[in-house]
Amino acid sequence: MRKHLPQLGGDEEENEINLTPMLDVVFIMLIFFIVTASFVKEIGLDVNRPDAPTTEVKPEDANILVTIDANDDVFINRRLIDPRAVRANIERLHAENPRGSVVIQASKRSTNKMLVTIMDASRQAGVYSISIADNAR
Amino acid sequence: MRNKQTAAAGEEENEINLTPMLDVVFIMLIFFIVTATFIKEPGVDVDRPDALTAEQQFDAAILIAISGNDEIWIDRKQMDSRSVRDAIERLHLENPRGGIVIQADENSTHEQLVVVMEAAKQVGVSNVAIASTND
Repeated sequence: MRKHLPQLGGDEEENEINLTPMLDVVFIMLIFFIVTASFVKEIGLDVNRPDAPTTEVKPEDANILVTIDANDDVFINRRLIDPRAVRANIERLHAENPRGSVVIQASKRSTNKMLVTIMDASRQAGVYSISIADNAR
Repeated sequence: MRNKQTAAAGEEENEINLTPMLDVVFIMLIFFIVTATFIKEPGVDVDRPDALTAEQQFDAAILIAISGNDEIWIDRKQMDSRSVRDAIERLHLENPRGGIVIQADENSTHEQLVVVMEAAKQVGVSNVAIASTND
């Protein structure tokens, strides 16, 4: 018994794996992943988030239809509206029918700046369900 | 002889136990591997429109840019309007949970935006957002 014990202890010590090279590899991988981690911070407006993805909102069913023509003029109910007054108009129409959503019908040649302005105005008025009508016909 | 043995024992006791550090490092490694979503930047500068109610888009995985002169850029390549759908499909397969953020320039036309949104709808990506600034 006495003879064997010291031998066993010596074997155990020699059998321990040297962790240093693995540690080096793990550290290099860690540094690689930290460096390549790109936390993209993008802010923006959702299009048609509250509805199901496949919901087709027809302009005829919409309660608030906003039209943008090729010259970036905004029309609600066939009346020309100043872009700054869009929010107040949507607020009023939303009060008349609180369940209605906003549908934006934009001309092909209108700029996206006006589109985002209208979407922003609609969200400020409290209508977060915004669809963009596809009038590419 | 005796002195030597005690010296060896002292050295062994002075060695730092690396196992807890190794645990921590492994957990960090796994965290960074899991959170790494290799987002492909479109590669053009766009003037984002202003919006006060803009929200942070946390699930953005595909970025599509529409430049001021109506060119569509995905993954540092300019895209034809007909090949947008294939490009979105390919990126969507890599990260099926992520949404699309369209970086539309202020001066880009609505036509190109509709092209991109139609392609996204055909591929089946439900969360589409338009990038903006809020200052």
